[in-house]
Amino acid sequence: MATRFPRSQSAIVGIGCTEYTKGSGVSTFTLAARAVKAAVADAGLTLADVDGLCTFGPDDTIAPNYLAQALGISSMNYFLDHKLGGSVAISIVSQAALAVSAGVANCVVVYRALNGRSNKGGIGNSKSAPRTLKAIWDVQFKMPSGYVAAAQELAMAASTHMARYGTTSEDFGRIAVLSRRNALDNERAVMRKPLTMDDYMDSRWIVEPFRLFDCCFETDGAVALVICAADRASDSPHRPVNIRGAAWGGGVNLVNNGRTDMAESPANLIAPKVYSAAGLGPSDIDFAEFYDCFSYTVLSQIEGYGFAEAGGVPDMLRDGCFDRATGELPVNTHGGLLSEGYMQGLNHVYEAVEQIRGDAGMRQVRRRDTALVTGQLGYLSGYSSAVVLEGA
Amino acid sequence: MNGTGILPDPDIDSAPYWEALGDGRFEIQHCADCGNWTWPPRPICSGCHGENMRWDAVSGVGEVHGWVVTHQVYAPSLAPLVPYTIVLARIAEQDDILIPGRFMSDMQVYQGMPLRAVPTNVGGGLGVLEWKAAPAP
Repeated sequence: MATRFPRSQSAIVGIGCTEYTKGSGVSTFTLAARAVKAAVADAGLTLADVDGLCTFGPDDTIAPNYLAQALGISSMNYFLDHKLGGSVAISIVSQAALAVSAGVANCVVVYRALNGRSNKGGIGNSKSAPRTLKAIWDVQFKMPSGYVAAAQELAMAASTHMARYGTTSEDFGRIAVLSRRNALDNERAVMRKPLTMDDYMDSRWIVEPFRLFDCCFETDGAVALVICAADRASDSPHRPVNIRGAAWGGGVNLVNNGRTDMAESPANLIAPKVYSAAGLGPSDIDFAEFYDCFSYTVLSQIEGYGFAEAGGVPDMLRDGCFDRATGELPVNTHGGLLSEGYMQGLNHVYEAVEQIRGDAGMRQVRRRDTALVTGQLGYLSGYSSAVVLEGA
Repeated sequence: MNGTGILPDPDIDSAPYWEALGDGRFEIQHCADCGNWTWPPRPICSGCHGENMRWDAVSGVGEVHGWVVTHQVYAPSLAPLVPYTIVLARIAEQDDILIPGRFMSDMQVYQGMPLRAVPTNVGGGLGVLEWKAAPAP
Protein backbone atom coordinates (compact mmCIF):
# COMPACT_ATOMS: atom_id res chain seq x y z
CA MET A 1 0.00 0.00 0.00
CA ALA A 2 1.38 3.38 -0.97
CA THR A 3 2.20 5.73 1.85
CA ARG A 4 2.57 9.49 1.85
CA PHE A 5 5.74 10.35 3.66
CA PRO A 6 6.12 14.16 3.83
CA ARG A 7 8.76 14.24 1.10
CA SER A 8 11.62 16.69 1.70
CA GLN A 9 9.59 18.62 4.25
CA SER A 10 12.23 18.19 6.93
CA ALA A 11 15.98 18.56 6.97
CA ILE A 12 19.05 17.68 9.00
CA VAL A 13 20.69 21.02 9.78
CA GLY A 14 23.20 20.08 12.47
CA ILE A 15 25.46 17.15 13.32
CA GLY A 16 27.60 16.51 16.37
CA CYS A 17 29.60 13.70 17.86
CA THR A 18 32.10 12.94 20.57
CA GLU A 19 35.34 11.10 20.09
CA TYR A 20 34.78 7.39 19.46
CA THR A 21 36.96 5.37 21.83
CA LYS A 22 37.37 2.09 23.65
CA GLY A 23 37.10 3.87 26.99
CA SER A 24 35.49 7.30 27.26
CA GLY A 25 36.19 7.73 30.97
CA VAL A 26 32.92 9.63 31.31
CA SER A 27 29.29 8.64 31.73
CA THR A 28 26.81 7.91 28.96
CA PHE A 29 24.96 11.01 30.20
CA THR A 30 28.07 13.14 29.59
CA LEU A 31 28.56 11.74 26.11
CA ALA A 32 24.95 12.48 25.19
CA ALA A 33 25.15 16.06 26.45
CA ARG A 34 28.38 16.72 24.56
CA ALA A 35 27.06 15.37 21.25
CA VAL A 36 23.77 17.26 21.55
CA LYS A 37 25.54 20.53 22.33
CA ALA A 38 27.91 20.01 19.40
CA ALA A 39 25.06 19.31 16.99
CA VAL A 40 23.06 22.35 18.12
CA ALA A 41 26.12 24.58 17.76
CA ASP A 42 26.81 23.11 14.30
CA ALA A 43 23.27 24.10 13.30
CA GLY A 44 23.90 27.69 14.41
CA LEU A 45 21.21 27.31 17.08
CA THR A 46 21.08 27.36 20.85
CA LEU A 47 19.65 24.83 23.29
CA ALA A 48 16.73 27.22 23.78
CA ASP A 49 15.68 26.46 20.20
CA VAL A 50 15.37 22.72 20.90
CA ASP A 51 11.89 21.41 21.73
CA GLY A 52 12.22 17.71 21.03
CA LEU A 53 14.60 14.89 21.92
CA CYS A 54 14.65 11.35 20.54
CA THR A 55 16.88 8.42 21.33
CA PHE A 56 16.97 4.65 21.12
CA GLY A 57 18.78 1.68 22.57
CA PRO A 58 17.90 -1.44 24.56
CA ASP A 59 20.08 -0.34 27.46
CA ASP A 60 23.04 1.93 28.27
CA THR A 61 21.28 5.14 27.37
CA ILE A 62 20.14 8.35 28.97
CA ALA A 63 16.47 9.16 28.55
CA PRO A 64 15.24 12.38 26.88
CA ASN A 65 13.62 13.75 30.03
CA TYR A 66 16.82 13.64 32.07
CA LEU A 67 18.84 15.13 29.26
CA ALA A 68 16.27 17.89 28.78
CA GLN A 69 16.40 18.77 32.46
CA ALA A 70 20.19 18.86 32.45
CA LEU A 71 20.40 20.99 29.32
CA GLY A 72 17.66 23.39 30.39
CA ILE A 73 15.29 22.37 27.61
CA SER A 74 12.14 23.43 29.40
CA SER A 75 9.59 23.32 26.61
CA MET A 76 9.61 19.78 25.27
CA ASN A 77 7.00 19.28 22.58
CA TYR A 78 8.15 15.87 21.38
CA PHE A 79 10.17 12.95 22.68
CA LEU A 80 10.82 9.34 21.79
CA ASP A 81 12.72 6.80 23.87
CA HIS A 82 12.81 3.65 21.78
CA LYS A 83 13.91 0.42 23.47
CA LEU A 84 15.39 -1.31 20.46
CA GLY A 85 18.71 -1.32 18.67
CA GLY A 86 19.95 -1.04 15.11
CA SER A 87 16.63 -1.85 13.51
CA VAL A 88 15.32 1.55 14.65
CA ALA A 89 18.54 3.52 14.07
CA ILE A 90 16.95 5.20 11.08
CA SER A 91 13.28 5.18 12.05
CA ILE A 92 14.17 7.40 14.99
CA VAL A 93 15.33 10.01 12.44
CA SER A 94 12.16 9.52 10.43
CA GLN A 95 9.97 9.93 13.51
CA ALA A 96 11.66 13.26 14.16
CA ALA A 97 11.04 14.17 10.52
CA LEU A 98 7.33 13.45 10.98
CA ALA A 99 7.21 15.56 14.14
CA VAL A 100 8.72 18.66 12.59
CA SER A 101 6.91 18.36 9.26
CA ALA A 102 3.59 17.98 11.10
CA GLY A 103 4.46 21.02 13.19
CA VAL A 104 4.16 19.39 16.58
CA ALA A 105 7.79 20.32 17.24
CA ASN A 106 10.10 22.89 15.71
CA CYS A 107 13.54 21.54 16.37
CA VAL A 108 14.17 17.93 17.34
CA VAL A 109 17.54 16.51 18.30
CA VAL A 110 18.07 12.80 17.72
CA TYR A 111 20.93 11.22 19.65
CA ARG A 112 22.52 7.92 20.57
CA ALA A 113 25.04 7.77 23.40
CA LEU A 114 26.63 4.65 24.82
CA ASN A 115 29.65 3.35 26.66
CA GLY A 116 29.34 0.18 24.64
CA ARG A 117 32.92 -0.88 25.22
CA SER A 118 33.69 0.21 28.76
CA ASN A 119 30.27 -0.35 30.30
CA LYS A 120 30.21 -4.03 31.18
CA GLY A 121 26.45 -4.07 30.89
CA GLY A 122 26.64 -2.97 27.26
CA ILE A 123 25.14 -4.55 24.20
CA GLY A 124 26.86 -7.65 22.95
CA ASN A 125 28.91 -8.05 26.09
CA SER A 126 29.38 -11.70 26.84
CA LYS A 127 27.96 -11.39 30.34
CA SER A 128 24.84 -9.55 29.33
CA ALA A 129 23.96 -10.92 25.90
CA PRO A 130 21.18 -13.25 27.08
CA ARG A 131 19.63 -10.52 29.20
CA THR A 132 19.91 -7.89 26.47
CA LEU A 133 18.36 -9.98 23.73
CA LYS A 134 15.57 -11.19 25.98
CA ALA A 135 13.78 -7.96 25.14
CA ILE A 136 13.08 -9.51 21.72
CA TRP A 137 10.13 -11.86 22.08
CA ASP A 138 11.22 -14.82 19.99
CA VAL A 139 14.67 -14.99 21.57
CA GLN A 140 13.12 -16.98 24.44
CA PHE A 141 12.75 -19.87 21.98
CA LYS A 142 16.43 -19.78 21.02
CA MET A 143 18.22 -19.16 24.30
CA PRO A 144 17.98 -22.70 25.74
CA SER A 145 19.89 -23.88 22.65
CA GLY A 146 22.74 -21.46 23.33
CA TYR A 147 21.46 -19.31 20.47
CA VAL A 148 21.67 -15.97 22.24
CA ALA A 149 23.68 -13.44 20.22
CA ALA A 150 23.14 -11.29 17.16
CA ALA A 151 26.30 -12.76 15.64
CA GLN A 152 24.71 -16.21 15.65
CA GLU A 153 21.48 -14.94 14.11
CA LEU A 154 23.22 -13.15 11.25
CA ALA A 155 25.77 -15.93 10.74
CA MET A 156 22.81 -18.30 10.36
CA ALA A 157 21.41 -16.13 7.58
CA ALA A 158 24.86 -15.90 5.99
CA SER A 159 25.15 -19.70 6.02
CA THR A 160 21.95 -20.01 3.99
CA HIS A 161 23.26 -17.50 1.46
CA MET A 162 26.50 -19.48 1.12
CA ALA A 163 24.53 -22.66 0.56
CA ARG A 164 22.23 -21.14 -2.03
CA TYR A 165 24.59 -18.90 -3.98
CA GLY A 166 28.06 -20.24 -3.26
CA THR A 167 29.03 -17.07 -1.41
CA THR A 168 32.42 -17.50 0.26
CA SER A 169 34.43 -16.28 3.23
CA GLU A 170 36.53 -14.20 0.81
CA ASP A 171 33.37 -12.37 -0.26
CA PHE A 172 32.66 -11.41 3.34
CA GLY A 173 36.34 -10.56 3.74
CA ARG A 174 36.20 -8.10 0.84
CA ILE A 175 33.54 -6.15 2.72
CA ALA A 176 35.64 -6.08 5.90
CA VAL A 177 38.70 -4.93 3.94
CA LEU A 178 36.71 -2.27 2.06
CA SER A 179 35.33 -0.90 5.31
CA ARG A 180 38.78 -0.70 6.87
CA ARG A 181 40.22 1.00 3.80
CA ASN A 182 37.56 3.71 4.14
CA ALA A 183 38.27 4.08 7.85
CA LEU A 184 41.94 4.76 7.23
CA ASP A 185 40.91 8.20 5.89
CA ASN A 186 38.52 8.88 8.73
CA GLU A 187 39.87 10.68 11.77
CA ARG A 188 36.79 9.59 13.77
CA ALA A 189 37.40 5.89 13.15
CA VAL A 190 38.50 3.68 16.02
CA MET A 191 40.02 1.01 13.74
CA ARG A 192 42.69 2.62 11.56
CA LYS A 193 45.20 -0.17 11.18
CA PRO A 194 45.27 -1.50 7.61
CA LEU A 195 43.50 -4.83 7.14
CA THR A 196 44.45 -7.29 4.39
CA MET A 197 42.58 -10.32 3.13
CA ASP A 198 45.26 -12.46 4.78
CA ASP A 199 44.62 -10.73 8.10
CA TYR A 200 40.94 -11.40 7.61
CA MET A 201 41.36 -15.09 6.74
CA ASP A 202 43.76 -15.56 9.66
CA SER A 203 41.40 -14.03 12.21
CA ARG A 204 39.69 -16.31 14.70
CA TRP A 205 36.22 -17.72 14.38
CA ILE A 206 33.50 -15.99 16.33
CA VAL A 207 30.52 -17.88 14.95
CA GLU A 208 31.24 -19.82 11.74
CA PRO A 209 30.89 -18.56 9.05
CA PHE A 210 31.83 -15.27 10.78
CA ARG A 211 35.40 -14.48 11.74
CA LEU A 212 36.52 -11.69 14.03
CA PHE A 213 36.62 -9.09 11.26
CA ASP A 214 33.10 -9.91 10.09
CA CYS A 215 31.86 -8.46 13.37
CA CYS A 216 31.59 -4.87 14.53
CA PHE A 217 32.98 -3.99 17.93
CA GLU A 218 31.65 -2.14 20.96
CA THR A 219 32.53 1.55 21.11
CA ASP A 220 32.14 4.43 23.56
CA GLY A 221 30.78 7.67 22.16
CA ALA A 222 27.74 9.64 21.06
CA VAL A 223 26.20 11.12 17.91
CA ALA A 224 23.46 13.74 17.57
CA LEU A 225 21.50 15.24 14.68
CA VAL A 226 19.38 18.40 14.59
CA ILE A 227 16.20 18.10 12.52
CA CYS A 228 13.79 20.91 11.65
CA ALA A 229 11.18 21.68 9.02
CA ALA A 230 12.71 22.24 5.58
CA ASP A 231 11.28 25.76 5.31
CA ARG A 232 13.18 26.73 8.44
CA ALA A 233 16.43 25.20 7.18
CA SER A 234 17.41 28.02 4.84
CA ASP A 235 19.02 29.97 7.70
CA SER A 236 21.35 27.06 8.40
CA PRO A 237 25.10 27.74 8.17
CA HIS A 238 25.53 24.48 6.23
CA ARG A 239 23.87 22.95 3.19
CA PRO A 240 20.63 21.50 4.58
CA VAL A 241 20.16 17.78 4.03
CA ASN A 242 16.55 17.02 3.25
CA ILE A 243 14.88 13.86 4.48
CA ARG A 244 13.45 13.03 1.09
CA GLY A 245 11.82 9.72 1.88
CA ALA A 246 11.73 7.18 4.66
CA ALA A 247 10.19 3.84 5.52
CA TRP A 248 10.20 1.61 8.52
CA GLY A 249 8.51 -1.70 9.04
CA GLY A 250 8.74 -5.41 8.90
CA GLY A 251 11.48 -7.88 8.30
CA VAL A 252 12.08 -11.55 8.85
CA ASN A 253 12.68 -13.59 11.96
CA LEU A 254 11.53 -16.90 13.35
CA VAL A 255 7.97 -15.61 13.36
CA ASN A 256 8.25 -15.62 9.62
CA ASN A 257 4.71 -16.25 8.41
CA GLY A 258 5.35 -17.75 5.03
CA ARG A 259 8.99 -16.87 4.48
CA THR A 260 10.85 -20.06 3.72
CA ASP A 261 14.36 -19.04 2.70
CA MET A 262 16.56 -17.00 5.02
CA ALA A 263 18.95 -16.33 2.09
CA GLU A 264 16.49 -13.81 0.70
CA SER A 265 17.34 -10.34 1.92
CA PRO A 266 14.77 -9.04 4.40
CA ALA A 267 15.65 -5.61 3.03
CA ASN A 268 13.61 -6.43 -0.06
CA LEU A 269 10.52 -5.92 2.09
CA ILE A 270 11.32 -2.31 2.92
CA ALA A 271 13.19 -1.26 -0.24
CA PRO A 272 10.13 -0.59 -2.42
CA LYS A 273 8.60 1.44 0.41
CA VAL A 274 11.56 3.74 0.92
CA TYR A 275 11.99 4.27 -2.82
CA SER A 276 8.29 4.99 -3.21
CA ALA A 277 8.42 7.46 -0.33
CA ALA A 278 11.38 9.22 -1.95
CA GLY A 279 10.07 9.01 -5.53
CA LEU A 280 13.46 7.63 -6.53
CA GLY A 281 15.02 4.28 -7.36
CA PRO A 282 18.38 2.60 -6.86
CA SER A 283 19.88 4.29 -9.93
CA ASP A 284 19.28 7.71 -8.32
CA ILE A 285 21.36 6.88 -5.25
CA ASP A 286 24.89 8.35 -5.28
CA PHE A 287 26.23 6.46 -2.26
CA ALA A 288 24.92 4.25 0.52
CA GLU A 289 25.63 3.76 4.20
CA PHE A 290 24.37 0.27 5.07
CA TYR A 291 23.88 -0.98 8.61
CA ASP A 292 26.84 -3.29 9.06
CA CYS A 293 26.77 -4.98 12.43
CA PHE A 294 28.28 -7.84 10.41
CA SER A 295 29.88 -7.97 6.96
CA TYR A 296 27.13 -10.15 5.54
CA THR A 297 24.45 -7.55 6.19
CA VAL A 298 26.13 -5.23 3.67
CA LEU A 299 26.04 -7.92 1.01
CA SER A 300 22.42 -8.76 1.76
CA GLN A 301 21.34 -5.13 1.66
CA ILE A 302 23.11 -4.43 -1.65
CA GLU A 303 20.80 -7.14 -3.00
CA GLY A 304 17.73 -6.14 -1.06
CA TYR A 305 17.88 -2.45 -1.95
CA GLY A 306 18.15 -3.29 -5.64
CA PHE A 307 21.81 -2.65 -6.47
CA ALA A 308 22.53 -6.26 -7.45
CA GLU A 309 20.76 -9.43 -8.44
CA ALA A 310 20.56 -12.02 -5.67
CA GLY A 311 23.93 -13.75 -5.63
CA GLY A 312 25.52 -11.04 -7.77
CA VAL A 313 27.38 -9.08 -5.11
CA PRO A 314 30.62 -11.12 -5.00
CA ASP A 315 31.45 -10.36 -8.66
CA MET A 316 30.69 -6.68 -8.10
CA LEU A 317 32.92 -6.61 -5.02
CA ARG A 318 35.76 -8.08 -7.07
CA ASP A 319 35.13 -5.43 -9.75
CA GLY A 320 35.37 -2.59 -7.22
CA CYS A 321 31.78 -1.44 -7.72
CA PHE A 322 31.48 -0.32 -4.10
CA ASP A 323 34.90 1.35 -3.72
CA ARG A 324 34.80 4.89 -2.45
CA ALA A 325 37.00 6.57 -5.01
CA THR A 326 36.04 4.81 -8.24
CA GLY A 327 33.02 2.61 -7.63
CA GLU A 328 29.58 3.29 -9.05
CA LEU A 329 28.04 2.96 -5.58
CA PRO A 330 30.44 3.85 -2.76
CA VAL A 331 29.28 2.15 0.42
CA ASN A 332 30.10 2.75 4.09
CA THR A 333 32.43 5.57 3.20
CA HIS A 334 33.45 6.14 6.82
CA GLY A 335 34.26 2.51 7.58
CA GLY A 336 30.86 1.74 9.07
CA LEU A 337 30.21 -0.08 12.28
CA LEU A 338 32.89 -2.56 11.22
CA SER A 339 35.70 0.00 11.38
CA GLU A 340 34.54 3.48 12.39
CA GLY A 341 32.70 2.43 15.50
CA TYR A 342 29.46 1.13 16.90
CA MET A 343 27.21 4.11 17.38
CA GLN A 344 24.49 1.64 16.50
CA GLY A 345 23.89 3.18 13.07
CA LEU A 346 23.36 6.84 13.87
CA ASN A 347 26.97 7.45 12.85
CA HIS A 348 25.95 6.41 9.33
CA VAL A 349 23.61 9.40 9.14
CA TYR A 350 26.36 11.69 10.42
CA GLU A 351 28.68 10.48 7.66
CA ALA A 352 26.02 10.85 4.96
CA VAL A 353 25.36 14.45 6.02
CA GLU A 354 29.07 15.26 5.96
CA GLN A 355 29.39 13.74 2.48
CA ILE A 356 26.34 15.60 1.12
CA ARG A 357 27.69 18.86 2.52
CA GLY A 358 30.99 18.19 0.76
CA ASP A 359 32.85 18.25 4.07
CA ALA A 360 34.22 14.69 4.07
CA GLY A 361 37.81 15.65 3.22
CA MET A 362 39.90 12.74 2.01
CA ARG A 363 36.80 10.54 2.07
CA GLN A 364 34.72 12.82 -0.12
CA VAL A 365 32.75 10.95 -2.78
CA ARG A 366 32.36 12.62 -6.19
CA ARG A 367 28.63 12.14 -6.65
CA ARG A 368 27.36 13.24 -3.29
CA ASP A 369 23.83 14.65 -3.49
CA THR A 370 21.65 11.63 -2.70
CA ALA A 371 22.29 8.93 -0.11
CA LEU A 372 20.54 5.81 1.09
CA VAL A 373 21.09 5.18 4.81
CA THR A 374 19.73 2.07 6.48
CA GLY A 375 19.14 0.47 9.85
CA GLN A 376 19.56 -3.20 10.65
CA LEU A 377 18.13 -5.05 7.66
CA GLY A 378 15.20 -6.76 9.32
CA TYR A 379 16.36 -9.85 11.23
CA LEU A 380 16.26 -10.17 15.04
CA SER A 381 13.43 -7.88 16.12
CA GLY A 382 11.90 -8.23 12.65
CA TYR A 383 11.94 -4.47 12.07
CA SER A 384 13.99 -2.42 9.69
CA SER A 385 14.25 1.24 8.72
CA ALA A 386 15.75 3.27 5.88
CA VAL A 387 15.94 6.84 4.65
CA VAL A 388 16.87 8.67 1.47
CA LEU A 389 18.75 11.90 2.19
CA GLU A 390 19.24 14.62 -0.39
CA GLY A 391 21.18 17.85 -0.37
CA ALA A 392 18.97 20.93 -0.63
CA MET B 1 20.62 -33.10 29.38
CA ASN B 2 21.47 -30.42 26.85
CA GLY B 3 23.79 -28.61 29.18
CA THR B 4 23.51 -25.01 28.02
CA GLY B 5 22.56 -23.93 31.51
CA ILE B 6 19.98 -21.59 30.00
CA LEU B 7 16.59 -23.00 30.92
CA PRO B 8 13.31 -22.41 29.11
CA ASP B 9 11.20 -19.63 30.60
CA PRO B 10 7.62 -20.83 30.10
CA ASP B 11 4.66 -18.47 30.05
CA ILE B 12 0.94 -19.03 29.56
CA ASP B 13 1.40 -19.33 25.78
CA SER B 14 4.53 -21.45 25.68
CA ALA B 15 4.28 -23.75 28.72
CA PRO B 16 2.66 -26.68 26.85
CA TYR B 17 5.53 -26.67 24.35
CA TRP B 18 8.31 -26.85 26.94
CA GLU B 19 6.38 -29.33 29.11
CA ALA B 20 5.76 -31.70 26.19
CA LEU B 21 9.47 -31.65 25.33
CA GLY B 22 10.22 -32.43 28.97
CA ASP B 23 7.95 -35.46 28.60
CA GLY B 24 9.72 -36.60 25.42
CA ARG B 25 7.08 -35.32 23.00
CA PHE B 26 7.59 -32.79 20.16
CA GLU B 27 4.28 -30.95 19.83
CA ILE B 28 3.44 -27.62 18.27
CA GLN B 29 0.25 -25.67 17.78
CA HIS B 30 -2.11 -26.89 15.05
CA CYS B 31 -5.15 -24.89 13.99
CA ALA B 32 -8.41 -26.82 14.31
CA ASP B 33 -10.05 -24.44 11.84
CA CYS B 34 -7.55 -24.05 8.99
CA GLY B 35 -4.98 -26.78 9.62
CA ASN B 36 -2.04 -24.40 9.73
CA TRP B 37 0.89 -25.21 12.03
CA THR B 38 2.25 -22.34 14.17
CA TRP B 39 5.65 -22.04 15.83
CA PRO B 40 6.94 -20.38 18.05
CA PRO B 41 4.02 -20.80 20.46
CA ARG B 42 1.67 -17.83 20.43
CA PRO B 43 -2.02 -17.24 21.01
CA ILE B 44 -3.03 -16.62 17.40
CA CYS B 45 -2.96 -18.96 14.39
CA SER B 46 -0.57 -17.53 11.83
CA GLY B 47 -2.79 -18.88 9.04
CA CYS B 48 -6.31 -17.68 9.84
CA HIS B 49 -5.61 -15.56 12.96
CA GLY B 50 -8.12 -17.49 15.06
CA GLU B 51 -7.58 -18.83 18.56
CA ASN B 52 -8.78 -22.39 18.01
CA MET B 53 -5.47 -24.22 18.19
CA ARG B 54 -4.61 -27.66 19.53
CA TRP B 55 -1.24 -29.03 20.59
CA ASP B 56 -0.45 -31.86 18.16
CA ALA B 57 2.59 -34.06 17.70
CA VAL B 58 4.71 -33.51 14.63
CA SER B 59 6.76 -36.24 12.96
CA GLY B 60 10.13 -35.00 14.13
CA VAL B 61 11.38 -35.20 10.56
CA GLY B 62 13.28 -32.14 9.37
CA GLU B 63 16.14 -30.92 7.25
CA VAL B 64 18.92 -28.38 7.67
CA HIS B 65 18.24 -24.92 6.30
CA GLY B 66 21.17 -23.10 7.97
CA TRP B 67 23.82 -23.85 10.56
CA VAL B 68 26.44 -22.03 12.61
CA VAL B 69 29.34 -23.15 14.79
CA THR B 70 29.68 -20.95 17.85
CA HIS B 71 33.21 -20.40 19.17
CA GLN B 72 32.64 -17.21 21.17
CA VAL B 73 31.50 -17.70 24.77
CA TYR B 74 28.27 -15.70 25.11
CA ALA B 75 27.40 -16.76 28.65
CA PRO B 76 29.47 -18.41 31.38
CA SER B 77 27.36 -21.57 31.24
CA LEU B 78 28.15 -21.95 27.53
CA ALA B 79 31.92 -22.01 28.04
CA PRO B 80 32.22 -25.81 28.38
CA LEU B 81 30.28 -26.33 25.13
CA VAL B 82 32.27 -24.29 22.62
CA PRO B 83 32.56 -24.93 19.79
CA TYR B 84 28.97 -26.07 19.38
CA THR B 85 26.77 -26.34 16.28
CA ILE B 86 23.25 -24.97 15.99
CA VAL B 87 21.06 -25.91 13.05
CA LEU B 88 18.02 -24.08 11.77
CA ALA B 89 15.75 -26.99 10.89
CA ARG B 90 12.81 -26.91 8.52
CA ILE B 91 10.15 -29.34 9.70
CA ALA B 92 8.50 -31.72 7.27
CA GLU B 93 4.98 -30.56 8.13
CA GLN B 94 5.26 -26.96 6.88
CA ASP B 95 7.89 -25.10 4.80
CA ASP B 96 7.88 -21.87 6.76
CA ILE B 97 8.54 -23.37 10.17
CA LEU B 98 12.24 -23.18 10.96
CA ILE B 99 13.24 -24.33 14.45
CA PRO B 100 16.75 -23.87 15.79
CA GLY B 101 18.41 -26.31 18.11
CA ARG B 102 21.77 -27.79 18.98
CA PHE B 103 23.04 -30.37 16.52
CA MET B 104 24.14 -33.40 18.52
CA SER B 105 25.67 -35.67 15.84
CA ASP B 106 29.39 -35.60 15.14
CA MET B 107 29.01 -35.08 11.40
CA GLN B 108 29.63 -32.36 8.83
CA VAL B 109 26.42 -30.39 8.35
CA TYR B 110 25.06 -29.34 4.95
CA GLN B 111 21.91 -27.62 3.71
CA GLY B 112 19.24 -30.22 3.09
CA MET B 113 20.78 -32.74 5.52
CA PRO B 114 18.01 -34.96 6.93
CA LEU B 115 17.36 -34.44 10.63
CA ARG B 116 15.50 -36.09 13.43
CA ALA B 117 14.11 -34.10 16.35
CA VAL B 118 15.22 -35.14 19.83
CA PRO B 119 13.17 -33.78 22.75
CA THR B 120 15.55 -33.54 25.69
CA ASN B 121 14.55 -33.19 29.34
CA VAL B 122 16.39 -30.41 31.14
CA GLY B 123 14.81 -30.83 34.57
CA GLY B 124 11.88 -29.21 36.29
CA GLY B 125 9.45 -30.98 33.98
CA LEU B 126 10.72 -28.98 31.00
CA GLY B 127 12.63 -29.91 27.88
CA VAL B 128 14.35 -28.41 24.87
CA LEU B 129 14.54 -29.55 21.27
CA GLU B 130 17.79 -30.89 19.87
CA TRP B 131 18.48 -32.28 16.41
CA LYS B 132 20.42 -35.28 15.20
CA ALA B 133 21.37 -36.44 11.73
CA ALA B 134 18.84 -38.90 10.29
CA PRO B 135 19.44 -41.53 7.62
CA ALA B 136 18.50 -40.18 4.18
CA PRO B 137 14.93 -41.24 3.27
